[in-house]
Amino acid sequence: MEKPDAQSYIQGVLNRDRRMLAKTITLIESTLPADQKVAQQILDALLPQTGKALRLGITGLPGAGKSTFIESFGMMLIRKGYSVAVLAVDPSSPKTGGSILADKTRMEKLAVNERAFIRPSPSGKTLGGVARKTRETLLVCEAAGFDVVMVETVGVGQSEVSVASMVDFFLVLMIAGGGDELQGIKKGVLELADAIAVNKADGDNIERAKLAQHQYEIAFHLLSPPYRNWTPPVVTCSSITMAGLENIHKIILDHRDKLTESGELQVKRQEQDRDWLLFMVREGVQEWFYESPAAQLLAELLQEVEKGTITPTTAAARILGCLKGLRF
Amino acid sequence: MSQHSQKKKWQELAAKELKGKHTDSLNWETPEGILVKPIYTAEDLEGLDSVNTLSGIAPYMRGPTATMYANRPWTIRQYAGFATAKESNDFYRKNLAAGQTGLSVAFDLATHRGYDSDHPRVAGDVGKAGVAIDSVEDMKILFNQIPLDKVSVSMTMNGAVLPVLAGYIVAAEEQGVQQNQLAGTIQNDILKEYLTRNTYIYPPRSSMRIVSDIISYCSQNMPRYNTVSISGYHIMEAGADSVLQTAFTLADGKEYIRAAIDGGLKIDDFAPRLSFFFGVGMNFFMEIAMLRAARFLWHKIVSEFNPTNLRSAVLRTHVQTSGWSLTQQDPYNNIIRTTLEALAAVLGGTQSLHTNSFDEAVSLPTPLSARTARNTQIIIQEESQICHVVDPLGGSYYIESLTASIIREAQKIMDEIEQLGGMARAIETGMPKMRIEESAARRQARIDQGKDTIVGVNKYRVKDEVPMDVLEVPSSVRDEQINRIKQIKARRDNPAVQKALEKITNVAQKGGNLLAASIDAVRLRATVGEVSDAVEKVFGRYVATTRVISGAYASEYGDSEIIAALRKRVKLFFEKTGRRPRMLVTKMGQDGHDRGIKVVATAYADLGFDVDISPMFQTPEEAAKMAIENDVHLVGVSSLAAGHKTLVPQLIENLKKMGGEEIIVVVGGVIPPVDYDFLYSKGVQGIFGPGTAITESADKVLQLLEEKFLKVK
Repeated sequence: MEKPDAQSYIQGVLNRDRRMLAKTITLIESTLPADQKVAQQILDALLPQTGKALRLGITGLPGAGKSTFIESFGMMLIRKGYSVAVLAVDPSSPKTGGSILADKTRMEKLAVNERAFIRPSPSGKTLGGVARKTRETLLVCEAAGFDVVMVETVGVGQSEVSVASMVDFFLVLMIAGGGDELQGIKKGVLELADAIAVNKADGDNIERAKLAQHQYEIAFHLLSPPYRNWTPPVVTCSSITMAGLENIHKIILDHRDKLTESGELQVKRQEQDRDWLLFMVREGVQEWFYESPAAQLLAELLQEVEKGTITPTTAAARILGCLKGLRF
Repeated sequence: MSQHSQKKKWQELAAKELKGKHTDSLNWETPEGILVKPIYTAEDLEGLDSVNTLSGIAPYMRGPTATMYANRPWTIRQYAGFATAKESNDFYRKNLAAGQTGLSVAFDLATHRGYDSDHPRVAGDVGKAGVAIDSVEDMKILFNQIPLDKVSVSMTMNGAVLPVLAGYIVAAEEQGVQQNQLAGTIQNDILKEYLTRNTYIYPPRSSMRIVSDIISYCSQNMPRYNTVSISGYHIMEAGADSVLQTAFTLADGKEYIRAAIDGGLKIDDFAPRLSFFFGVGMNFFMEIAMLRAARFLWHKIVSEFNPTNLRSAVLRTHVQTSGWSLTQQDPYNNIIRTTLEALAAVLGGTQSLHTNSFDEAVSLPTPLSARTARNTQIIIQEESQICHVVDPLGGSYYIESLTASIIREAQKIMDEIEQLGGMARAIETGMPKMRIEESAARRQARIDQGKDTIVGVNKYRVKDEVPMDVLEVPSSVRDEQINRIKQIKARRDNPAVQKALEKITNVAQKGGNLLAASIDAVRLRATVGEVSDAVEKVFGRYVATTRVISGAYASEYGDSEIIAALRKRVKLFFEKTGRRPRMLVTKMGQDGHDRGIKVVATAYADLGFDVDISPMFQTPEEAAKMAIENDVHLVGVSSLAAGHKTLVPQLIENLKKMGGEEIIVVVGGVIPPVDYDFLYSKGVQGIFGPGTAITESADKVLQLLEEKFLKVK
């Protein structure tokens, strides 16, 4: 198959051509070095057009109703006149490498809406890979002019940190359980939250949701707030009855206004870019290291450490000594 | 009783015949996980409380009536309907004249989902998998010259139950038949729609309100009418084994009892009018045992509600032979399969029976295939002398032991469901659906490996198959229906209709009986779509969550060379192109049968594909948008309801329009071979009929991908 040149992709994205936007994301996701090179050209060209969208991260335990929330919240945004892009990452099977991408079955209305673009992506093997692809895809969607970009993350753990580090607002969805509200969700994830929404507050679940809301509020007081001008609110909502969704939108806008005014949003994005550079270097160095001859040395020294014939400190010093001999 | 006195001797003889292998090597573990031994004796019946009971007497295991077929054989009730009401009516009357004794109406998918034929979402569905009914005028034509006080009519309707049952009642009324004379059945089993088939309209709880309103209305006005036909058939067709079918069906039944009791009824007001509908497949003795076990368990379940009427706890059932067991390959074999399944249903003691036509794997029945199917039952009934004795296998060591095993295993699953808070709650957790899908994926893997033999498919294949005649429904049916809707709307008292529809909305909101309100509106010629919309205003239209299991196919298949080879090709594709083969699987139109698509999704993911799944009920344009956005290499369309000739070319058109001309389109499901050339000419690159092994389709799909994306650079 003949692939278009970088310029056609760039023009396609800027014209918000759905096909070319999709194809650009595919290039970003590709593991072929040639594709990645073109992708970087495209990204460099698009960079001046990025930065204008509201970047939203959405997380929650499996069953918290993330996709359904995005469906309802996204449709509300569209009714208000916004265009919406959604990026969702689904786990690839570690055994077979394959994946099942069923997000759109829970975003039925949003999936067919002309002003929405949803791209589910398989996670692939490495966490670093997902983080890079998602971040770059987010930038491409911004360049295509989407007003809001939502990033959905799976489960709980490290992926939250990487998503939180690429969005302006990080929303954690919870559901009311049997009292052990804080079980399962890591404290670290709460620390990243700009707001917590107790979802599924509908029908005979409203009272329980309110109780959970209260418990999270208490838990939040024990954490130090992420910004001077922002205390993360805890709210309830329902993707079914739409109750509370307006309020969440208001909170997000409020957050943006306050942090823009104080300059904290700009600082946040700068920090994110800095962290991103550091992350990429760290990942890159690691990757490079494990493919270099030094990895062989490491393997040998690991055995010696196990045998007790050398101390870990001495071993590390020997490896680092070798690396220091390299010239740039 | 202890071990048979000659058991030792038998074992010695057996060991000799087995040339030293232990007799345990002959044990067979059924798909249900039940261990079947090569021989059974009286020892196996010890302690079983189901043995040596009588028909017509609790626990009714041996039959709901005392004399069974010795007095009156089962009702021969063939499920049929296609195109317009007029054509279906002609077909029904011919069948009744040729020995059929009851009617069973198949509606098209537009009707099931509460859409009139002029709705834009149903372009490919009108009149295809059943008859198109838009108003009571269609209903009157459907039953023209069929006396509804004499012929019992079964209607397979679950979604649009209100307008359809109302239409039947008003059609009868205008024939001069009173409501209390009406005998028959409406399926009205909404719970299983959320498990399989997906022909629901409203969310589960609102739908349960409708079920309960119908039960309540009929218990007062239509005492001879069966208000719910609790259906295991579709659960089986979705891939459930006999234990799962039994457990989920009976648990559904228990949930209906609870809903009706919550609605203020007493158990004896409605329980005698609950009937069942089981599916019977090829596992001959298991099927017989299943029907016996189901009767035993239902008696136990209903007894918990303390009925005083003895009939309340009696399970009466209709049976249909399995559609899934039919093959497109060497199709006359299907006559034999259906005969065996019919025999199992009869030996299991069914009250009525539908036998499938041999061409049903690919299309609607022709007059010849329909006659053969009907005669299959008539020959069992009138030539085989089977009917003289009640439960002729009762007392068989094997059958009794197998029955007890199903009772035990199904009870375990029902206990699990009770712990989740009943079937409605269990459905919300996704547990039953996952179990069914796992069972389906495992069965597919067994067939694909040849562990389960299917003659003509994975063994003894015929090289040059002779194409069969198929019955095709012309697309002009939709135009005819649309015209008739226009005429009706022009002639009726529109303000009065509006008022009646508002009343329905009001009743949905504030309470009252929805069926009573629907009858009033239908009498004034409100259409199926209008009545459904009036209810939808309050209840909303439901969208199910799709969950797909992973790993089941490959784990049943084991690490075979075939799977390894396919995985290797996927890996090579990944290395060469920088991404895994990505495939969108989609269903378009109102066809909600999603077993096939899910088995395909899980199996392909197990092979290493990235598989996108679309929401149900897509239009071709929506499916194309998703394929474009997700940037897939390939779209796999599943079609089981005859919409392929309209919808697939439209999909390809839309893909081209959106710049995705390189996206490969393949089609799987029920596609008559005579349509293959038409589809190829429209740009389809692969067609996989019933009985295609997944490994076989994956081989072809990979070949297409390799040719397109690997060869040229």
